[in-house]
Amino acid sequence: MNVLARNNVKVFGKGTQPMLFAHGFGCDQNMWRFVTPAFEADYCIVLFDYVGSGKSDLGAYDAQRYATLDGYARDVLDIVHALDLHDVIFVGHSVSSMVGVLAANREPERFARLVMVGPSPRYVNDAPYIGGFERGEIEGLLETMEKNYIGWANFLAPAIMKNPDRPELGEELEASFCSTDPVIARRFAEATFFADNRADVRDVRVPSLILQCSDDIIAPDAVGDYLHREMPRSTLHHLRATGHCPHMSHPEETIAAIKEYLRQPAAA
Amino acid sequence: MHDPIVGTLLDDAPCGYVAFADDGSIRAVNATLLEMLGYARDELVGRHFESVLTVGARIFYQTHFFPLLRLHTRADEIFLILRARDGTDVGTLVNAVRRERDGEWRTECVLLRIVERRKFEDALLRAKKEAEAANAALVASQGQLEEQAVELEAQATELETQSEELRTINEELMERGVELEEARMAAENANRAKSEFLATMSHELRTPLNAIAGYVQILELGVHGPVTPAQLETLGRIERSQRHLLRLINDVLNLARIEAGRVDYRIERLVVADLVDSVLPMVEPQMAERRLRNEVTVPASLVVRADREKVEQILLNLLSNAAKFTPPEGSVHIAASMHDATCVSIRVQDTGIGIAPEKLASVFEPFVQVDSSATRRAQGTGLGLSISRDLARGMKGELMAESVVDVGSTFTLLLPSG
Repeated sequence: MNVLARNNVKVFGKGTQPMLFAHGFGCDQNMWRFVTPAFEADYCIVLFDYVGSGKSDLGAYDAQRYATLDGYARDVLDIVHALDLHDVIFVGHSVSSMVGVLAANREPERFARLVMVGPSPRYVNDAPYIGGFERGEIEGLLETMEKNYIGWANFLAPAIMKNPDRPELGEELEASFCSTDPVIARRFAEATFFADNRADVRDVRVPSLILQCSDDIIAPDAVGDYLHREMPRSTLHHLRATGHCPHMSHPEETIAAIKEYLRQPAAA
Repeated sequence: MHDPIVGTLLDDAPCGYVAFADDGSIRAVNATLLEMLGYARDELVGRHFESVLTVGARIFYQTHFFPLLRLHTRADEIFLILRARDGTDVGTLVNAVRRERDGEWRTECVLLRIVERRKFEDALLRAKKEAEAANAALVASQGQLEEQAVELEAQATELETQSEELRTINEELMERGVELEEARMAAENANRAKSEFLATMSHELRTPLNAIAGYVQILELGVHGPVTPAQLETLGRIERSQRHLLRLINDVLNLARIEAGRVDYRIERLVVADLVDSVLPMVEPQMAERRLRNEVTVPASLVVRADREKVEQILLNLLSNAAKFTPPEGSVHIAASMHDATCVSIRVQDTGIGIAPEKLASVFEPFVQVDSSATRRAQGTGLGLSISRDLARGMKGELMAESVVDVGSTFTLLLPSG
């Protein structure tokens, strides 16, 4: 098994310390394109797509393995081993923050820092814990996803994807959603939004940065506060950036926050 | 009043229109969309675009729609469910483009309300799910069928093995049956040879015994000179021993002849009362000697089909046994009646010493007497009952015994009725 091909791994940059960027649900490694140039000079940038997303090898998708975030954490560790990475700065967006937590708990010696962009250990409310969503609202997301994948992906995409004579069709798909398979996308959504990693975050020994956005409906302020309280060695940084994707909407502020954090000694 | 940015033309267009800044705040909205959602214009302008989305659509906006706009500046045919002012859901298909206008980046969206198409898609999705479920069920049942087939095949193999085993066992049994039949015939032959030998030997033994009796009589009569009283007594003992030995030999001869199948039966109609009358006098002296009471209950009408001589022999045996084994002052009762429609029973009941239950079954075996002390007290060969039963069976009858110790015994002779 070639992990680097399977996960469409890209390595570049002039530095030696690796910065491993992990995309979130619904996206692929392209989401980091506004951020990575700022780190190229000083770090070794590693980008990848989770199996089932972007240009990963869909044939390697295993419904069992990716039914929970654990399978995604294994993707991360597979890449760390394949490239023999040490002293890794892991940057994860959204659900990938928890994937990073799981990976770092398994092999803490490989990781130097965790940078978490819009993290949440649990999206569904569980009184008194506030995740921001009711279970039924997540079902609403699944319906919206189904409808958005129905037009082309569900019925046409498999045929188009297997048409090597017309690569431009694949390009068009790339311009659309990052996950091209509706079943995989749905399972990723379920693994993400029904996950509960509150116990895992308490075990983290690697120093971490929580980048908390303003007005983020997916990871509200209360969640950021909860994480900072529960996670040992965590640093909480509030961004002025609104929404859930500051690395796309406000890349400069995001870059500055990460750089500042990396300059500081890690929290004890 | 028309939106100054939108203008009249777009305001009345048959599709919704909304423009919002990068931070999501709505800059412009057309009248069609306001009507679709039930808002007044000033209620929406300035608000965040996400606020008119359902929660599911908001997540989708953040995870799919927004990244697409950022990475590719446009997003086409996105299905989003909007939330109207009154809380109802409005399904829309959205085309969006992000471009710089009036000095800021804006996302401009055209929204088509989809109702019928949404229903159609729902139906399509349902059908697809049902088809998938049906397919899964089919695959599962096919798997089950395959498992069952494998199981059945295994069972068939096992049955075949068992059938093979049974065939082998059957063959062995048949072989053994043949062997048993051979063994039985060999045993029968040996038994017949033994009986023939005994029959011959008994005859050879009787000749010298008769000679002994004759010479004893000659001596007793004083043919060879006077005999002293002591010599007479000795001669009497020799004579008694000779008679006992002769009786024994006669019994053995009878049994041997019966077993060798050499007995002929002359079957005729016989009145039971006559049979009893002819036998009874032979044991009366013996019974009188022991002061035994004697009762006879035999209806005159009873008739059997049997050999007279053989029946008399059986009755004599039963009566002399009764006399022998009944203590003084006891009684012997002879009774006869119809046993069933085809059979007459003749019973000899005594108030004798009785026979223990565990011994009752063996009284018909040759050379068996109930115990040796009784044998010594009541002289006999131990062959009488065995011979009697053989004779009864030879006449299609039966001889049975019932007994209670110290109360008495009842021997029942069954014979075909005339």
